[in-house]
Amino acid sequence: MPPSLPKEGRGPSVPSRPTETHDAAGWIEEVLPTRLTAIRESERRVLARLAALGYGEDHCFAVRLAFEEALINAMKHGNRMDPSRQVRLAYRVSPERVEICVADEGAGFRPDCVPDPTVDENLQRPCGRGVMLMRSYMDEVIYSANGTEVHMVKYRANPVRGFPESGRRC
Amino acid sequence: MVKDNIIHATDRNGVTVARICAEAILNEDQVRAFGQALLALADVPGRRVILNFLGVHHLTSLALGGLIRLHKRLAESGGELCLADIDPRIWEIFTITRLDRLFRIFDREEEAVAALLAEGRAGA
Repeated sequence: MPPSLPKEGRGPSVPSRPTETHDAAGWIEEVLPTRLTAIRESERRVLARLAALGYGEDHCFAVRLAFEEALINAMKHGNRMDPSRQVRLAYRVSPERVEICVADEGAGFRPDCVPDPTVDENLQRPCGRGVMLMRSYMDEVIYSANGTEVHMVKYRANPVRGFPESGRRC
Repeated sequence: MVKDNIIHATDRNGVTVARICAEAILNEDQVRAFGQALLALADVPGRRVILNFLGVHHLTSLALGGLIRLHKRLAESGGELCLADIDPRIWEIFTITRLDRLFRIFDREEEAVAALLAEGRAGA
């Protein structure tokens, strides 16, 4: 399991830009403001680590998609786009796997209660596909009991759904 | 012709062809602009729209929501939304979410134009 991401106070402590710290186990932790534009900066740093380790384009696509969906969910559905709340991110990239942990300051939810967006009656609902995409593209997606924190893993040895590894590097 | 930062739309004999001018749609401005640009396409009742994904290499659930809203809005007014030139990775997102059952998807823009024009003639 990932390191438990501590919840910090709200208000003035919320950074305007992601802040980054490293620990001895190789986890890199960042605190993001609840703003979708903040996702891109962190995403670039994560993908740069995959590229440096020679991960293929398909794995980079999968990690990018799940990363974005997890952070969008945390900001939009967890923190309700409240700028006084923050999102805590931790990630660790090794030659064997990519681990991502995202925690929000919302009320939490029960991921198993999210309506199946693929059944006919839900097909025209504009929301509710983020969790499904995360589960489709990552090998492990584990939520904390209250649903405010998600831990995802993508193993390099496992192909990305629908894509035999192309061998091209990202 | 309608041109803004994220959608470039042209008319082809009564069929609107809209190209997405962004590799990915994520930040607030892009999501808002994309949603507004899509809904603007539905301003004309009965409009038939082909959304060309050429050059789009990444998509999130936020953009999928915008597409679904456009599809509904067009269908309600007797129009139609078709998608074309979808990157294989983006196509996979549509199949995973089963949205390939909701949207009418063509391999190429020209095929979509030809199909809609032929249907327009048949219905005339």
